[in-house]
Amino acid sequence: MIIEIRTKEKYAANEERGFIGRMAHAGLKVRAARLSRLYRVDAGFSRAEFGRLGADLLTDRITETYSLSRPRPGIRGWRVEVWLKDSATDVVGESVRGAVADVLGKEPQAVRFGHAYYVACGSRAALRRAVEKTLVNGIINKFAIEKI
Amino acid sequence: MNDLLLKFNTLSKNQLRRLDRACGWSLNADELAEAQRQFRRMGRAPARGELETIAQTWSEHCKHKTFSGPVTFRDGGKVKKYKNLFKETIVRATKTLNKKWCLSVFTDNAGIVEFGHSGKWGLAFKAETHNHPCAVEPYGGAETGVGGVIRDILGVGLGAKPVLNTDTFCFGRLDSKQKLPKNAHSPERIMRGVVEGVRDYGNRIGIPTAAGGIYFDEGYLLNPLVYVGCAGLIPVDKIHKEVKPGDLIVSIGGRTGRDGIHGATFSSANIDEDVSASAVQIGHAVNEKKALDALMRARDLGLYNAVTDCGAGGFSSAIGELGSETGARVRLEKALLKDTRIEPWEIWVSESQERMILSVPKAKLKRLAAILDAENCEYCVLGDFPGDGRLRVTWEGESVVDLPMAFLHGGVPNFEKEARRRAVRISSKPPAARSLSYGELLRRTLAHPNVCSRHSVITQYDHEVQGGTVGKPLQGRYGDGPGDAAVIWPHAATLDQSDFCGFAVSHGFNPALGRVDPYQMALHSVDEAVRNLLCAGADVSRTAILDNFCAASPRDPRVMGDLVLAAEGCHDAALTYGAPFISGKDSFYNQSRDADGKEYPIPISLLISATAPVADVRRSLTINFKEPGDPVYLAGDSLRGLGGSVYNELSPSGNNAVAALDMKGAVKLYAALSRAMAAGCVRAAHDVSQGGLAVTLAEMAFSGGYGASLDLRAAARERGLTPTELLFGESPARLVLEVAKGREGDFLRLVRGLPVAGLGCVKEEPVLAVRDGGTELFTEDLAGLKASWRKELI
Repeated sequence: MIIEIRTKEKYAANEERGFIGRMAHAGLKVRAARLSRLYRVDAGFSRAEFGRLGADLLTDRITETYSLSRPRPGIRGWRVEVWLKDSATDVVGESVRGAVADVLGKEPQAVRFGHAYYVACGSRAALRRAVEKTLVNGIINKFAIEKI
Repeated sequence: MNDLLLKFNTLSKNQLRRLDRACGWSLNADELAEAQRQFRRMGRAPARGELETIAQTWSEHCKHKTFSGPVTFRDGGKVKKYKNLFKETIVRATKTLNKKWCLSVFTDNAGIVEFGHSGKWGLAFKAETHNHPCAVEPYGGAETGVGGVIRDILGVGLGAKPVLNTDTFCFGRLDSKQKLPKNAHSPERIMRGVVEGVRDYGNRIGIPTAAGGIYFDEGYLLNPLVYVGCAGLIPVDKIHKEVKPGDLIVSIGGRTGRDGIHGATFSSANIDEDVSASAVQIGHAVNEKKALDALMRARDLGLYNAVTDCGAGGFSSAIGELGSETGARVRLEKALLKDTRIEPWEIWVSESQERMILSVPKAKLKRLAAILDAENCEYCVLGDFPGDGRLRVTWEGESVVDLPMAFLHGGVPNFEKEARRRAVRISSKPPAARSLSYGELLRRTLAHPNVCSRHSVITQYDHEVQGGTVGKPLQGRYGDGPGDAAVIWPHAATLDQSDFCGFAVSHGFNPALGRVDPYQMALHSVDEAVRNLLCAGADVSRTAILDNFCAASPRDPRVMGDLVLAAEGCHDAALTYGAPFISGKDSFYNQSRDADGKEYPIPISLLISATAPVADVRRSLTINFKEPGDPVYLAGDSLRGLGGSVYNELSPSGNNAVAALDMKGAVKLYAALSRAMAAGCVRAAHDVSQGGLAVTLAEMAFSGGYGASLDLRAAARERGLTPTELLFGESPARLVLEVAKGREGDFLRLVRGLPVAGLGCVKEEPVLAVRDGGTELFTEDLAGLKASWRKELI
């Protein structure tokens, strides 16, 4: 299960502006963007239990929302998902794994931490080049781009 | 490869070289031949683990072969020979000074000096570099750099409690137009990753990051430099450590995985496109915090006899170091692993982070285990220190390493390096006519990447955690002016809130000078670091310093020549300033090729980190103007020479001479100013450094929100100095002081006979007006100056 956390739209302007600036530095003009944090929790929990993790553990309820399914950010363009390679130690994932055990009383097999970027921009190829320049390091990251 | 290993003793030089490359050891031909000779003498082929151990123990990172080796230096017709460059310069200065307040120097993971009035505490201080890992993976490299230097402080004596992190970075220009090789990261990308790594590790572990700097130069385009430092407090009676035969080898903290294999040997190689992913290390601040908390409790209860950190080389280095006299018996199957798909030799040399090795008496293991369990800190007993002087490492009964310690630590062959003074053409002519007004030049200088505000980086760091950061990185009326030094009140470690004794930490760094004159660069760097301490109100007569040299390939005699001159400068400056070196580190092979095959060697880069006590942190000083009507003074002589200056970069002057530092004059001046500060005569002080006097005045003014009306007519200056050189020259040993209005007489009495000149006074009106006798130089609105300076770096 992937739990996706997003900043509520009314608080997201700063992080979106920062991201757009960063992509501009990498040579890509981005019209609009939304950002998410992703937690892949490998466990046989019920949907209610995953919901509890999203609501009580991983989300700041005042400024953020969570989703157990892919959200619709209202952007037409691309979704970029970035993860650490499985061979790279995921420190955030490890910490969250411990926290999940504290909240639910049972430990998941693994938790991995990643990011999703919803990007309104030109071509996939241009986006890919910018992502490789600024968001991922091929030595430790893997990523995927899909049309939304 | 296994075939080659089995035939190791009969391999030719070429085959040895191929094997070395395939295994990533970075051993040279002499070292490979020496290892081969030793195994021939033993009458057996080496195991992979043994060669890995040798490669690690003999690496540049661990043995510092370049700096500690013999060097022949040629300067025109003159030849000077060094048997051990490091000992004959840096260490010699410390030995000559022989300061009683130096409690431990050059023997442990960090240097230690006395702290406070009680005689109970020592201050441990260390700075490291993590350059190569940051070039490959900036975030992970920076994180593990911070984690590593914190563990140096945890591993000094029986463990010091960290109270301050420092960071100084060098990157390529963010606006660089150079075409990069396929796998190289842009400077912007490297900077963002490094800053985030330092931020995340320091903030998560709960240590303030409160001192440092950022320097941009095209020389660092492919080889960023990441200097990380840490200071901690240690009880004086916990400085001595000694492994006792029979003690158990206990590893605490993180688990062992395949991450970071060959980090130590990686430091001895030029970076190319084929850097292995396994050289990347990933940090885990929370694990290190657990180890820190457990260690401090166990230390105070006397539950172990010695401790050291697992740094480059992992178990091999840490256990080898602790057991260098007693020997060690290690059973690798006892290690806690992240991943079971790992070879025994990999467990031995893995550089997985957050691990500390303790030497624990058997009778105390149970009590230690109880503390580790309570802190949720994992541990394992790996073996013992038997006392026979031999290193035996096994995995499930099979031998992985069986070598005498004497060979490992004393067997590395020394080979002489050639050094030559670099030919640099010096022009001392007056600066070419300027095309811009002084006001416009000042605004452009303030906006220069090496001068402008670092707030977009600094504000990402938690510099307040532990509640003891008195002198902050951002200072002044609005909390956004550039501080000269961090002042720390370490009550979180001493637990004494009635003693206001603290310490200041500052830096001196100017590689642009090194391109012209490495000797003067070293002098200027020491002077700048001491002057920054003085500006914070520290007692500079008790300054202790660290040297961190970074250079390109030492195979180039000119690079070695730069190193020799800078090391000689360090020696001379330390002696004159009475400031002993207490620790240091060096990093070589910071050199790469760009996409067009052009070599990018870094310039010789010397970071001087300095610390000195602050008798009462409540009386420490900041840089901003405080009170309209207060007189403003310039201390020090302004000298000719625009070499290495920001001005020269913005407006090439044709003058590249570097002003020679009068060290004796500076020491006399600082002693008098220190007395004036202690007497309460000085309200603000700020050093004149990058950007020159005009920048210093502007920063003091806009940080305080007060203007000033100043006339430089009385400023002590070298004959023939032009107004341009006076405003934008970066000659050393100068600082600007705001003196308390009612104490001017006392101040002048204390500085009588010294080059200290009144310039004018602080004004309520937010305008900085500067003239030189009858010539008006500039009149600038503070808001405009600040706007130029306050750039967002990232």
